[in-house]
Amino acid sequence: MSVAELESREIQLEAPSGLWREAWQRLRRNPGAIVGFVLVITFALVALFAPLIAPDDPRAQDLSLLREGCCPGPSTEHWFGVDALGRDEFSRVVYGARFSLLIGVVAVAVGLSVGLVLGAIAGYIGGFVDSLIMRLMDIMLSIPGLLLAIGIVAALGPGLTQIMIAVGATQIPIFARLLRGSILAQRENDFVLAARAVGVPRRIILASHILPNAISPVIVQGTLALATAIIDVAGLGFLGLGPQDPSTPEWGTMLTNTTRYLQTAPHLAIIPGVAIVISVLGFNLIGDGLREALDPKLRGRG
Amino acid sequence: MLRFVVRRLVLLIPILIGLSILVFLWIRLLPGGPAQALLGERGTDAQVAQIERQYGLDEPIHVQYWKYVQKVARGDFGNSIGTRRPVTDELKQRFPATIELAFAAMLFSVLLGIPLGFFAAKKYGTALDHASLVVSLLGISIPIFFLAIILKYVFAVKLGWLPTVGRISVLIDLEHPTNFYVLDAIIAGNMSALWDVLKHLILPAVALGSIPLAVIARITRAAVLDVQNEDYVRTARAKGVAPRLVDTRHILRNALLPIATIIGLQTGLLLSGAVLTETVFAWPGLGTWLVTAIEARDFPVLQGGILFVSVVFVLVNLLVDVMYAVINPRIRYS
Repeated sequence: MSVAELESREIQLEAPSGLWREAWQRLRRNPGAIVGFVLVITFALVALFAPLIAPDDPRAQDLSLLREGCCPGPSTEHWFGVDALGRDEFSRVVYGARFSLLIGVVAVAVGLSVGLVLGAIAGYIGGFVDSLIMRLMDIMLSIPGLLLAIGIVAALGPGLTQIMIAVGATQIPIFARLLRGSILAQRENDFVLAARAVGVPRRIILASHILPNAISPVIVQGTLALATAIIDVAGLGFLGLGPQDPSTPEWGTMLTNTTRYLQTAPHLAIIPGVAIVISVLGFNLIGDGLREALDPKLRGRG
Repeated sequence: MLRFVVRRLVLLIPILIGLSILVFLWIRLLPGGPAQALLGERGTDAQVAQIERQYGLDEPIHVQYWKYVQKVARGDFGNSIGTRRPVTDELKQRFPATIELAFAAMLFSVLLGIPLGFFAAKKYGTALDHASLVVSLLGISIPIFFLAIILKYVFAVKLGWLPTVGRISVLIDLEHPTNFYVLDAIIAGNMSALWDVLKHLILPAVALGSIPLAVIARITRAAVLDVQNEDYVRTARAKGVAPRLVDTRHILRNALLPIATIIGLQTGLLLSGAVLTETVFAWPGLGTWLVTAIEARDFPVLQGGILFVSVVFVLVNLLVDVMYAVINPRIRYS
């Protein structure tokens, strides 16, 4: 086979692949992203099958297990030990995966959808509407994120739904700005001008020409936002603004009073903490991998 | 340049007005007012009404807002309902505590993050490079409060090297002219107090600095990798400039741009992280202050505190943009 033939074959191999297929190829070759997928899939499976994995009811107390006022560490009976009320820590961490995943996904969905709508309107309509929306976003961004979330929870009262709304709200301006910037960059493209010239209606140009091209940074940000959301939710839970029923096995809430038992029962702090780190790490790794895979500057390189 | 700064300052005005209205309305949406929080469940309607009259809470909301704006314009944030002290007095104590913590955290992350990122890029692909990637990944993946608890467990509880809570030991007698305890100790020339204050500062600063450390190391690495393949770097090397000079004058100088931006952005985020760090280490700063104020429905503290924090936040961001223009002669704001 001649060199020319070899090269033409390579060109053929590369030619038909679109942005997404190429991104997927690159993602598969990124060891970090693979680890991220493994962590996130494990996390999701644990959340999904929690009732099958957990040996005990996460809310069932057994005060007779406590020794000298606190909690025995890991044993064959209780893999991760028991907490201050004699509840099985392993079961609580397993069920906690459900809450973290659910709250994280819903929170990001709230922030993403509201942010995208606002960003799309601002970016595409422009003018007065644009200024109004973006100044509002500026005001939201001028309050530090966690304080804003605390404020919203304080107004709505503590609880799971309220946390989701609060964490989601802090992410609205990020997505709105991102999409607006991305749309402004796309709006001047030749294919958009061409579509306008042949009389395609504005909302169809937005939906089928601009959005698909503007969306890849949003996907990267969305993945990274999941990581932030899990951390923020745990932070609110840690501050005591989490689920109103304190027996709810939410990871952040589980960490709240552990500093009191640090001397005798460090496992109570370490185990839920490590669970948070692992799930957050997973989303961060995938997000980083996606960013590299979707970066147009890197496309076409190995 | 001056015009840019002035324009940004003018743009601040609508943001601040919007912010103050938002904060004002939000606080009145909170379930249960300060009267209930102060009196508990046993307060009679008459007592509640009396407290509301005392703090002007029974007037129409736009009247309350206008009165509040007039007072704030005179630098008066009102009195805390919980402690009855002027909000500005408490702010004078709390703000330096948080700034001292945030500054120490920033110092830690910059002094460690820039060299880490720089050498990671220089030794691209080696163990050091991988270590820096792991550090920056863990830094953004570990919740601040969890890291704080772990640090406290290892260095304060287990090893007993460092204190667990607070800014200074109770037994140490120190005047506080500035409320920056490090400065206070230096002014007083009290070395044992300085040592004690620094020991209290280490763990919270490391915990709070972990995220900026991760981000700074990562950005530095990326920026240096970017810059070191530029033509002017190759030219400098080719004409025989000493490698050390190339590193500092050509590479680091130009890599500093994105680094400076990121440092500025992180400074703002530190204010969020401070809430959690302060909670773990019982640090008497703005974060713990605001969290207790929310629980107590202390309206004047919340209004003043959040407004103040947001103004600082916005000003820091402005400063970042200005700094950016100063370091980067290619950018000219108009």
